[in-house]
Parts: sequence; C-alpha cells; structure tokens
Amino acid sequence: MERISPHQFMTLGAAVLMGTTFFPVASMVTGVGGRDGWMSVLPGLAIGIPYGLMIISLLEQYPQKNLLQISETLFGKWIGKGIGVLYISITGYFGGLLLGQAGDIYETSIMPLTPIGMFNLGGLLLVFYLVRAGIEVFARFSEVIFPIIIIALVLNIGLSIPRMEQGELIPILSEGIKPLFRGGIKVLPFAMEYILFLAGLLSFLPSGKKELGQLKTGVWRAVFLVGILDTLVVLIQILVFGPAETIRLVYGLLALGKMVEVSRTVAGVESLFLGVWLGALVIKVSAFFFTVTWGLETVFKLKGSKWNLAVSVIFILIALKFTRGPSLLLEIGLVDDYLILPFTSVWIVTLWGVSRWKKGAGVL
Amino acid sequence: MNSIRPFKKGLVLILMASLMFLTGCWGKREVEQLAPLLGIGLDLGEKPGTFLITQQFARPKKGGETGAEIEDRTFSVEASSARESIEKIAKVTYRTPFMGSLKVIVISEDVAKAGGFNDILDFAQRYSEFRRSMYLILAKGKAQDILNLELRSGLVPSMAIKNIIEGGEEISSFPTVRLGHYLTILGTKSTAPILPVLESVKPGEVMEYKADGNDEAGEIQIQGAGVLRGDRLMDFLTDEETKGYMWLENDVANRLINTVDLEESSVKFGGQVLKSNTKYKVKANNGKIELHYQIKTSIAIDEVLGLKKQLSGAEWVELAKGAEKSFAKVIESECKSSIKKQRELSLDFLGIGRHIEQKNSAYWKTIKDQWEEKIKDFPVSLEVQVTVHHSGMSSSSAVNSSGEGQD
Repeated sequence: MERISPHQFMTLGAAVLMGTTFFPVASMVTGVGGRDGWMSVLPGLAIGIPYGLMIISLLEQYPQKNLLQISETLFGKWIGKGIGVLYISITGYFGGLLLGQAGDIYETSIMPLTPIGMFNLGGLLLVFYLVRAGIEVFARFSEVIFPIIIIALVLNIGLSIPRMEQGELIPILSEGIKPLFRGGIKVLPFAMEYILFLAGLLSFLPSGKKELGQLKTGVWRAVFLVGILDTLVVLIQILVFGPAETIRLVYGLLALGKMVEVSRTVAGVESLFLGVWLGALVIKVSAFFFTVTWGLETVFKLKGSKWNLAVSVIFILIALKFTRGPSLLLEIGLVDDYLILPFTSVWIVTLWGVSRWKKGAGVL
Repeated sequence: MNSIRPFKKGLVLILMASLMFLTGCWGKREVEQLAPLLGIGLDLGEKPGTFLITQQFARPKKGGETGAEIEDRTFSVEASSARESIEKIAKVTYRTPFMGSLKVIVISEDVAKAGGFNDILDFAQRYSEFRRSMYLILAKGKAQDILNLELRSGLVPSMAIKNIIEGGEEISSFPTVRLGHYLTILGTKSTAPILPVLESVKPGEVMEYKADGNDEAGEIQIQGAGVLRGDRLMDFLTDEETKGYMWLENDVANRLINTVDLEESSVKFGGQVLKSNTKYKVKANNGKIELHYQIKTSIAIDEVLGLKKQLSGAEWVELAKGAEKSFAKVIESECKSSIKKQRELSLDFLGIGRHIEQKNSAYWKTIKDQWEEKIKDFPVSLEVQVTVHHSGMSSSSAVNSSGEGQD
C-alpha cells in the first residue's frame, strides 16, 4: 500500500485546495460581497479546517480506510454504496468540467486558433500519467509544482502594485458584515472540493499518533496558506480594477498579468502565469481523477489501467460537451453550489456524528 | 515493472509520431509575419452608426541603423465595428495585425461628442491580445489627421503620443489615462471620466518652428482635458482647470510652476515641484458636511524675475517666504478654477463623491441618488502649504549694485 508523508499531505492538500481557485475567486466574492469581498475568502476556506479535522479523527478510528469504506461500515452496505455512487458521479463530473476549463482558458486568452480539444487532450495525458504513476508520484509532483505556483502568484501580485488605483479598498464594511457571509458561502465549495479529495486520500495516510498530529497541523497550514494567497489575489484585483471591473473580468488575474511591465521593457508575462495555472489545473483534475478511481475500487472493485482509460474517456467527453465557455463556467458554479457543497457538508458531518455516537454508545 | 514497459514504449511511439506529424501550435505566427499595431484613431463615419477607424502599424525602417527604427503604415476604413475594420485592412496588408503592441487609442472630438465609443473600446478590453495598459486620449480635430501627420521628430505619431504621455509626469499638467483606469472610473458610477486632449500644432499656433514646406503641422501637444458623462464628451477643461484637477487628484509629481500672472507681487518666481501630496477629509463645518483638501508641496525656485537689488541673507529668507505664498496662491487659483468648472458642469470629474463615500459612507448613502444636483453647491474648502526647499545655485539675482539702469 502506498503512503504519503505528513509534509506531502500538507503540500498536496494545499495544491488541491488552491487548484484553480485563484482565477474565479475574486469575481465570485466581489460579486456578492462588493469591495469587502476579500475579507470573506479566509473565513470561507477556514470551514475546511473543522471538516478536515473530522476526517482525520475518522482516520484515527478507522486506520487505512477511506470515507467510502467507513460509510459502508457505519451506514450499512447499500447506503454506503449509494454514497459511493454519488461520490464517483460528482467528482467525475466535476473533474471533467475542470478539464474542459483548460481548453476554455487557453483559447480565450493566448491561443485562440488552436482546437479546444488539443488542450483538453494534452491536459488529460498529463493527468492520466500522474494517476497511473500513483499517489506518491502525484504528491511529489505537487511538492515541486506548488511552490512554483506560489512564486508565480506572489510575483504577479507584487508586479501589479504599480497599477493600483487610489482608495479602491475603502470604505471598509460600509455595507455591514452581511456581504461577508455571502462571500464566505461562495468560497465554501472550494473547501468542500478539498474535503472530497481528503475523503479518498485517507487510506494513504499514516495513522501513528505523532503523524496524526502532523496531519492535523497539515490541514491548518494548507487552509491558511491557500486562504491568505487567495485573499491577496482578491485584494490586488480590487485595488487595481476596482470592484465593478473585478466582478466583470472572467479571468482577472490574467488581465493583471497582461498589465505587468518591468521598466517599460519586460511585458507579456501572462503566458508564464498561464503555464503555472496549467500545473495547478493538472493537480486539481488529477485529484478528482484519483477520487473517481478510488471510488470505483471501493464501491465496485474496479481497478487497473482499462478502468483508468474508461474514466479518461468520460472526462474528455464531459470536457468536450462544454465547448461554450460561459456555459462551462456556469456549470462549474452549479456543481459547486448545488452538488459538492450540500453533499460534502452533510455527508462528512453525518458520518463523523454517527461514528462519535456509535463510539459513545459502545456499538463499535 | 513489466506493466510499465509497454506503456513507456507506447508513450515513446506517440511522442515520435507527434514530432513527425505535428508541425507546431495551431495559429502559430512568426514575428516577421505580424504587423504590430501602434495606434488606433476613431472618427465618425459618413454613414450613420459607423466609425472611420484609423489603424497605425509599425514596419521596420528600410536602411535604418538599428532594427528598432520603424516607419508607419496607416490605414483608415469606415466600419461599424472594430472587427469589421480589421477585416477590411487585412485584405490589403499581407501581415497579420498584432494588437498586443497597441500603445494608444485616439478618440476624435466628434466621436466623443456623439458618444457611444465604448462600443468600439469593448473590443480592446475583450479581445485577449490587447492590454489594459494602453493609453486613451481625445483629439481636437480628426484622429485620422493626427495619426497621418509627418512629425518633425521623425517619430511615428502613435509613438510620439505615447512618449509625450509617458514623459508627462515631469510636468504633471495633464492626466495619464490608461484603458484600465478609464474602465475603473466608469465602474464607480459617481465619478465622471476625464481624458487628456491632444492637438496638432502648426507653426505660429503655440510656438514658432521651421515648417517643412507644406501647410501641415509638424508637432503635436497634449494640453487640457475633456470631461465625459459615460462615453459622451460634455466639455473641455482649460489648461488651468486641468492643472487644478492634477493637484486635487494627488497626481502631481514634478510640476513646473510660475507666479508671473500674480498681480499682487512685483517679484515673480518660477520653480519646479519636487514633491507634492494631497489629502482630503470630510468634516462638519457649521452643521454642514464639507470636503476639505489639504495640499502640501515642496518647490525649488529656479527663476526669480523682477528683483531689482541685492538682498541680505535675512531679506532673502523673507523673499523665499513670500515666494511660498505666491506659489500657494497660484495652486489655489488652479484648484478653484477646477472646482468651479465641476460645479458648472455638474459632473464629478474630481471624484468628490468617491471621497465622501470613502470617508463617510453613511452620509454618502443619503446623498448619492441626488449627487449630480448636489455637486453644484457641495461645500469644498482648500488649504495649500508650500515649502520652498531651495532657491537654486544663487541667492540674489545678478543686478547692478546700485540698482541703476535696472528699470
């Protein structure tokens, strides 16, 4: 059985949580929270911490089992399998949609004449290779790529400072704190995507006492690191574009990259940022590919290359179905808000509650 | 391990096949096939609903000493959309237009007065090759004429406009407006956008210079600004009003300033602003809310006019203090003229509404719906503090010690 270290758990978790959130997050939270939207990012993502800790506590109780196996143990075989089918369907559909975003963003931003399927296929090849190589290789890949993502983001943010407009951030809290709640709710699905991945990753984590403590710290660190970075991403966009433009821009961070100019000499660095974004996208799609394969293995005992190939085909079909960019983005939002958020938030709390209750009642 | 080998072999075969059969990226364009777009001019077309769109491309100068030397290739076509104009021009040029190099969009006075140019700008903010850092400028007269000028500097007009704008910080007498800034201001709703104004200068109009033999202007200048409601030009600001805007907007870096027009003082000064900072606060004054500007600026005296005698050290210090007051009066006058214009137009190009919102959002909520009406008499006060940092390389001016003959 493959295992990943607590450090790899932290970086992999952070990379999956971050994923491609840095592109839509500013428009999403500013759309509902106005110029105060940036304040809702960290609290919204922080909801991932109690959920992550609940999952780690389940690992403590059921070592080397993923949440689907634990669900079968606690809820019974058929309810467990039903949850498994839902898990596979939601993560598979969402993974396919994210793969479709690879085509959308490249075609929209830098390579408008390349057939959209080439980006989807290219991304899928990388994902397929990573999934085939296993979770350890995937974790090492994240350890290499995630710091580069951070550096690119920080550079993009830092180099955009000269473009800041005066006073776009104030007044602060002029509409009270209600908009912050609305912004936080918009961010919640990002945390739940991370939790869905943890649900499957559980069986690859060490369960020693010392490691469990490190895993809990890993959840905290991942959420705070990504929360702070995403907050900065939203902040710089509001400061440069103002709230109205931040809402309107589909890929605001990319527009920022286009405005970067060093000494009126170096410009056009957005392609580099987009390369980094591809790394982040590959990590996120791979994570959802993994969740589907884990689900298939747990629920239907289906594993091996031919099933990976079948999942690839489904991913690419979903991606190609959404060749209209706006409808793809709308669909991703709908899956986030109406499938991932309710399913994950209810499933994990119920599972954890039932496990605590059964433990307390001495049933287990 | 054995299961990996066939996979790797397959992967290697796929990669080899890709190398042989795929020639590169779709839509790949070699740099020599591109026509870098430098400037766009917008004029009204003859048919209703159309624009006369001028596009200025760069091409390497034949026989140029360096590869960076360029000439222009300028086309004007009548079209109802930007894409239509590009299609028409693409039928003539053999190179593909590249928009990422666009430096400036020149909007003619007629287009701005008619309104609706945001429809054409939509392409510039939507199509991925463009950058929001390009400059926007209003033209007195036709934009086409300006982009077709043969400037005495030898520069392509678009590059000359860009250079003047980028060098503008040294004189801080007109605003720099990038597309991104313009769109941000549009998004604020309460603030009226403002664009600098460009005009061609014929010999004898603003300055004398030796013309090249034809009747065309050989120079261009940026002076003043145009105030817009949405994308419709409502009025022009004079040079003085624009300078006032620059002070109030905290946009002054290194203004050149003189007190020649002040009647109160017989000794006049010229100087350069070394640094300037404008702050504002919203405060209650006699039960009424007002906006109070506080401008603090540091000036170096470069020029003293009308000084008839040698001054002692103490007298020189007093004169410098007088200079501070004179400079402050000039700045105040510029700011007041700008505020007066804002009231006349009832358009908030100074962004006073946003300042009120920033400092007192509760009060702003009560007045924002009637803001255009309120602008006319909203109380604004001003405080200008000038510090003369130094007076150059000498104290007293060179005069005859007895003062004789100086008159």
